[in-house]
Amino acid sequence: MFKDKPVKVLLAKPGIDGHDRGMFVLARAFRDAGMDVLYAGLLPTPQEVVDTAVNEDVDVIALSLLNGAHLTAFKKVSDLLRKKGIDDIAIVGGGTIPDTDKPKLEKLGISGNYGPGTPLSVIIDHVTKRATESRKKKMGSG
Amino acid sequence: MSDTETLVRGILDGDRISVSRAISVIENDLYSDRALRILEGINPRTGNAHVIGITGPPGVGKSTLIGAMVPRIAVDDRKVAVVAIDASSPFSKGSILGNRIRMQESLTRHGIFMRSLSSRGLSGGLSFSALGTIKILDAAGFDTIILETVGSGQADLDVMLLASTIVVVLAPGLGDEIQAIKAGIMEIAHIFVVNKLDREGAFQAIKDIEDVLATASQGEWKVPVIGVSASNGDGLDDLNSAIGKHAEYQARHRDRRSSVRMELNLIVESEIMKALRNAIEEDSRVTGIIDDVSSGARDPFQGSRMIMGALSQRIAGKK
Repeated sequence: MFKDKPVKVLLAKPGIDGHDRGMFVLARAFRDAGMDVLYAGLLPTPQEVVDTAVNEDVDVIALSLLNGAHLTAFKKVSDLLRKKGIDDIAIVGGGTIPDTDKPKLEKLGISGNYGPGTPLSVIIDHVTKRATESRKKKMGSG
Repeated sequence: MSDTETLVRGILDGDRISVSRAISVIENDLYSDRALRILEGINPRTGNAHVIGITGPPGVGKSTLIGAMVPRIAVDDRKVAVVAIDASSPFSKGSILGNRIRMQESLTRHGIFMRSLSSRGLSGGLSFSALGTIKILDAAGFDTIILETVGSGQADLDVMLLASTIVVVLAPGLGDEIQAIKAGIMEIAHIFVVNKLDREGAFQAIKDIEDVLATASQGEWKVPVIGVSASNGDGLDDLNSAIGKHAEYQARHRDRRSSVRMELNLIVESEIMKALRNAIEEDSRVTGIIDDVSSGARDPFQGSRMIMGALSQRIAGKK
């Protein structure tokens, strides 16, 4: 499925959070796993994240926040994407997310929600799984 | 989500989701019926955009320059799109498409459509998807399309030929200003830019390039060398007016037949490469030939001649 066009993933921190070291580690790991990786840069708004994801037609948006704003900021991204009528770009999350918040994010379709210490292979597998679902939806539209 | 006709209609209406999806179809499978039907459907509406190619060695500030130029180009309701091509790793085939970050603010403020394509190491395929992407953006009503490549290697030069105005960007202190322009870029550049004008050696670099240009035979268009500083804005108006002048010059001298021929060549070449690659992959004899060369029973030149023989049999057989 990804032979001609690999998994395309957008990494973004959609809020006031400058801790981007983790993003760089993920960017490298995703690239080495054969993906096309985009990073939204520091301090993008949810609208910018969604515009980028749409223009670039990514398979997965990988969001990360360490500032506790995940319930509002991740939701904003998910809402904006839905408002555009897009259901074939998956959203995964990560950062410092309390266990009690995870089901709330899952309900929005934001899966993963990994915390510090998660092995890279687990994250890569999850992104690949969600990307496969997205790509199936995209290809099914032909 | 949408069938081909809806996608074509969406492109012609300038709908960005349709544009983006259509580019993915081209990227996914260049030669699929669906890709070809899209390109066929939009063809009558293409040929209006001005394509500006921006190329140069890594680190000279191409993306930053584009970010700084966009506000000057996106005036009078002109719609601008940016297509950036990044190299992918030859090992994992993955890539980090980083150009966006350096122009994000500008993109957002001016509503620019930007798409990153990664080069998969296959020059023909890259030019084809870049060509398809440009056509889609052109049909969607973008007036100016900026095409950015890292100016290294033949693949990038081929992509640059899709642009009607080619800007080669260099910077002082790379130590390879002149080498860079000798490597085939010299002949295709319409405008030279020396970025980072505030750095030491910038004016020497401009002079060096002018010296090289003075010894080359130039046509009616005199290639200008423009010093700019993308970070503080110096020289950007000069660059913008040079691009404008070249666009006018191009419009006066456009030779439709020769650009059509160039396009046809590019498409035919990439289709040949794809067909050959498939034929080589599918042919069972190739494995045996690889075994023979590995064991030392044949040398690689004999081996490749045998592959060529097998290929021509296949081609003849298919008729």
